This record gives sequence, C-alpha cells and structure tokens, in this order.
Amino acid sequence: MTVVLGQDLTKVYSLNGRQVAALRGVSLTIAAGEYLAITGPSGSGKSTLLQLLGGLDSPTGGRLELMGRRVEGLSDDELTDLRLRQVGFIFQRFHLMSVLTARENVELPLAEAGVGRRERSERAAELLAYVGLADRADHRATQLSGGEMQRVAIARALANRPALILADEPTGELDAATGAQILELFDRLHQDGVTLVVVTHDEHLAARVPRRVHLLDGRIDRDELATAR
Amino acid sequence: MTWALVVRSLFRHPVRTALVVAGIAVAAALLLDMVMLSGGMERSFSRMLLSRGFQIRLSPKGTLPFDTEAMIPAITPILDDLRADPDVERVGPVLATSLHVRVGDSLLTLVGYGVDPAGQGLYELEAGADLVPGDSTGLLVSEPAAAAAGWQIGDTIRLQGRLDPQSARAEAERVVTVRGVVRFLYDARGQRSVGADFRVMQRLGRFPDADPASMVMVKVRADDRVDSVAARIARTHRTVEVNSVAALVVQFRSRLVYFQQLSLILATISLVVGVLLVGTILTITVSERIGEFAVLRGIGVRRARVVRLVMAEGAVLTAAGAIGGVILGLATARYLDAILTSFPGLPAAISFFVPERTAIAKAAVAVFVAGVAASGYPAWLAARAPIAETLRADAE
Repeated sequence: MTVVLGQDLTKVYSLNGRQVAALRGVSLTIAAGEYLAITGPSGSGKSTLLQLLGGLDSPTGGRLELMGRRVEGLSDDELTDLRLRQVGFIFQRFHLMSVLTARENVELPLAEAGVGRRERSERAAELLAYVGLADRADHRATQLSGGEMQRVAIARALANRPALILADEPTGELDAATGAQILELFDRLHQDGVTLVVVTHDEHLAARVPRRVHLLDGRIDRDELATAR
Repeated sequence: MTWALVVRSLFRHPVRTALVVAGIAVAAALLLDMVMLSGGMERSFSRMLLSRGFQIRLSPKGTLPFDTEAMIPAITPILDDLRADPDVERVGPVLATSLHVRVGDSLLTLVGYGVDPAGQGLYELEAGADLVPGDSTGLLVSEPAAAAAGWQIGDTIRLQGRLDPQSARAEAERVVTVRGVVRFLYDARGQRSVGADFRVMQRLGRFPDADPASMVMVKVRADDRVDSVAARIARTHRTVEVNSVAALVVQFRSRLVYFQQLSLILATISLVVGVLLVGTILTITVSERIGEFAVLRGIGVRRARVVRLVMAEGAVLTAAGAIGGVILGLATARYLDAILTSFPGLPAAISFFVPERTAIAKAAVAVFVAGVAASGYPAWLAARAPIAETLRADAE
C-alpha cells in the first residue's frame, strides 16, 4: 500500500523579493511500513520535502498524494484533519506544550480527534509505557530531560495511529547516548510496522535506515536501499 | 484539556497576569462606578419620592416641592376638593417652617413640618408612637433633633414660632409632647426636624391667616390613573404646580443630563482602556508563543480551536478582572458616596451611586464582552500563523 506518492514536486519561496527554489522536481513513493531517511547538506531541501509530505506546506508544483488523497486543493480544515489523523510529527526541538504534563501532551491530538476522556487517558498511558516513560506521565514537559521530551513527542506523534511518522532531525538536540536510545525506539517502531520518514544530518542514524534518499540542490541525488544493516 | 492549557498558560507569567487582571479590575471598577453614577441619583430621587407611595406633588406655581420658601395659600378648599376625588386615595399636605426651642440658655433652631397624620408621606416612624388624626399636642422628632435637645419620648416641650430676630421673642408658642422618633425622608444628613399636626404648624409658622401649605402629596388609587388625575388637578387648580413623580424625575433628569453624559464618557473611556489592555497583552503573549501555536496547528489542531484557546485566555483574564472590578467598584462607590452625600442641604436619602443588580451585571457583562472581543485580533494572529515558515524560523 502506498502511503506517499509525490511526482515532480517543486517548492519555490519568495525571499526578499527573490524566488528561491527549495525543491526542483522531486518524485518519491513511500510504501506502508517503510523506514526512510532523507539526507543531504543544509539547504538541499530536506525539511521542505518533509513539510510537504506532512501537509504543513503546499507544493508550488507537482502532484502529491497522502494515503491516496490528493493534497493540493485541500482546504485548511481538510489539511489540518489529514495532519491530525494520518501524520505524526517529531520535531528537532521536541515542541511539547511546556505547561502540560507528559500525559496531557500525548492526549492533546487525541482530544482534538474527539476521543473520549477515558479512552485517551488509557491510550496515553499505553503510549508512554511504549516509549518507556510510564513513571514520568504526570511530570510537566519542563521537568523532563531532552531524551524524555523526545520520547513524549514520539508518543504524541503515535497518538492517533497515523499512517506516516515524520521526524525532522530527531536526535539533533540530544547527546550521543540519548540519541542512540531514540534510534532504538525508531527501530522498534519500524519493526512494529510504522511508516517512518526521518530527515537527518546524522550519518550514524542514516546508516541504520533501510532506505536512504539523498537530496542535493532540491533534487534527489540518490535513492538507495541498504543491503545490510 | 483546553482549560488546563488556558489557565496554565496564564500562570506562566503570574506577575504579568496579576497586573493585567488588576488593570482590568480598575477599568471595570471605574465603569461600574460610572454606570451607577449615571443613573444613581435619578433612581434614588425617584425611590425617595415614591417611598410612601404618593405619586403626585402640588407645589406653589412655578416651583418644585421645597424648591423655594414660597407657599400655596388657601390650601383648605384645595384639600377638600382633592379628598372628594374618587381616584384619590390619600392627601398629605405639608408645611415647612422654622421653629425654635430653648435648651438651657441657648435657642435651638429646628425645621418644623406640619403633616396630616391621616395622609402623611413625609416620614417613617423609628421609635415611639405616631401622631393620630386630631392630635394637636403631639410632636415627632428626628434623631438629630432629639440628640441636640436631649429629648426623650414623653418629654414636654415649648415650641416657638415666628421669632423676632431683634428681640428674640416668639409671636407664637405651643406646648407639645414628644410622641415618637421618626426619619424624615427629605431631610439632609444631621438635619434637626420636628413634625406636628398640620394646623398646629400653620399657627406656629409665617402667615397663619393665609392657610398656607408648602406642598401637597397625593396618592392615586391606580398607578395607571396618575397622569389623568394630575392633569385634572392642574386644570382645576391653576394656582398650583402639579407634577407627577414621573414628571419630576424627568425634570430632575434634565438637570442631570451633563452629569450623565460625563459619566457615560468616562465609562466608555474605561471600557476602551480595558479593551486596549486585554488586546495588547494578548497580542504580546501570542507573539511570544507563535511557535507554540504553529506546533499546535502542525499536529492537527484546527484554527477554530486555536482561536478559542486565545479567546478563552482573554475571557479568563476579563472574568477575573470583572469580578475584582465589581468588588473594587462597590467599595470605591461607597467611599465616594459618603463624600458626595455629605454636601450640606442634600437629602440623606439621595445617593449618587446606587448599586443595583442590573447596573452591576451590565458593567460586568460589558467588560467581559469587550475583553473577549479584544482578544479577537490576537486570536486571529495565532490562528493565521504560517505553520511551516514559523517552525522553520523557530528551528533556526
């Protein structure tokens, strides 16, 4: 089953009156259950591609389908609903709500999706246990370490059982040991059948991902499958 | 979840939030005070006039009741005519004059009211017994008069009228007995007043042969007949001024129109200050947290929910400010009222600030609605934040 189908995607930004092409015709297909790393130097278009895939931004040109649904032309509410139910985001800086507890952060997308109080509480507890934070559920985000915050962000991304998880430099703010724990968690997600796309500069991370898409100047330079881990 | 996010977000900067709530409370207090002030005198005036249920006043031609020392002459035929009117339930003539009593070596000056015990609308009994019709030796005294003269119920007193200021000799005297202590409704604070039978007071006052009255109060049986009865009296007795209480309130209102306009302008200014306060602080808050709102949008929170979150913060701020404002407004109103009502000559029953539920509710609702409306712009800013661009800027 195809989760993402991107054809000839372009994205042009206007920067100080100048047109800057961040993506120049990227075509990409991602099947369900794939674990994919998007790599490339700064300014190659990695984050822009991730934002298009997650419906955070719209392509300037080309065709993009998420779970078989054309993204171009969707209204804001439709795109928001797509992000809520089909996509989970993991950000470099975690971006948790600092005033909420770990449990409440995980419950946030569930509440938005209309899940009842009891069910979302159970689901949040289950997800926090999955990422190894069952005992930190009632701690505010500000009381957690960087690695713990990223685990909560992962649990939040998984809350509505999305078809696709997108992670933007998920280990960028973490030390090596903590980053390794996050990568192990990603491996576990992959083994559990989650479709996972990770944007990274981290060669160590990219090296353990089965499929690597290397971007250069807004184009796919290489799209390769690892032969062995 | 929404309320947890809203309340905890406000407590992220507790001092700032407290200062904003205090600012809104001050604006709300000023608004409430101005709302009470704009209609307070009119309401307390109307309440005072209607406190005994007399809806019509007759006064000397061209004057308002107690407006001047002018008298209505030959009052008896007018009273007889009014009492004969089937629409009239009760008639209460009043004569106000100066009286004196000797207390030790000094002469105490009093305001004397002549009343008809069968139809009085001038006082409320506080202690002792009321006058009864035909009681020509009874006297009612106000608390300040009793305190100044040291009178007790049952004391016998020699009242002096028409005193010659040169010789300090009275042309008329009357020995009376204190029957009761009353509160005269139109007295100023601390005014020393006494009340006696209308005919007794006529004999003690000026122009005893003119059969005078200062005012006549008329109680009409049915409220919906007041205007027609007033018109009929005015047609029949062209030498007197006839006003219904409603008409007097209108005249009173016309005298207060600038006062009311000033109150409304100040009330509007306080409301605008409240709006600016809420709008400014929430705009700053949203600007500081724009990344947070972009993340919320990114993870699938709808624009409408983001708008509700910001507006709920505005609502919580203004609700807290409005509650504080009501308490502060009532406290300052009481303090200001005590200052203003101590002006000499002003009836003690008149209040400048009348704390009515509707006025309080109006002010609180106005502040709340204005505060929530003021959060509309920052809410729009939060909801319209470009997600990708904001997250990119946040990551750099």
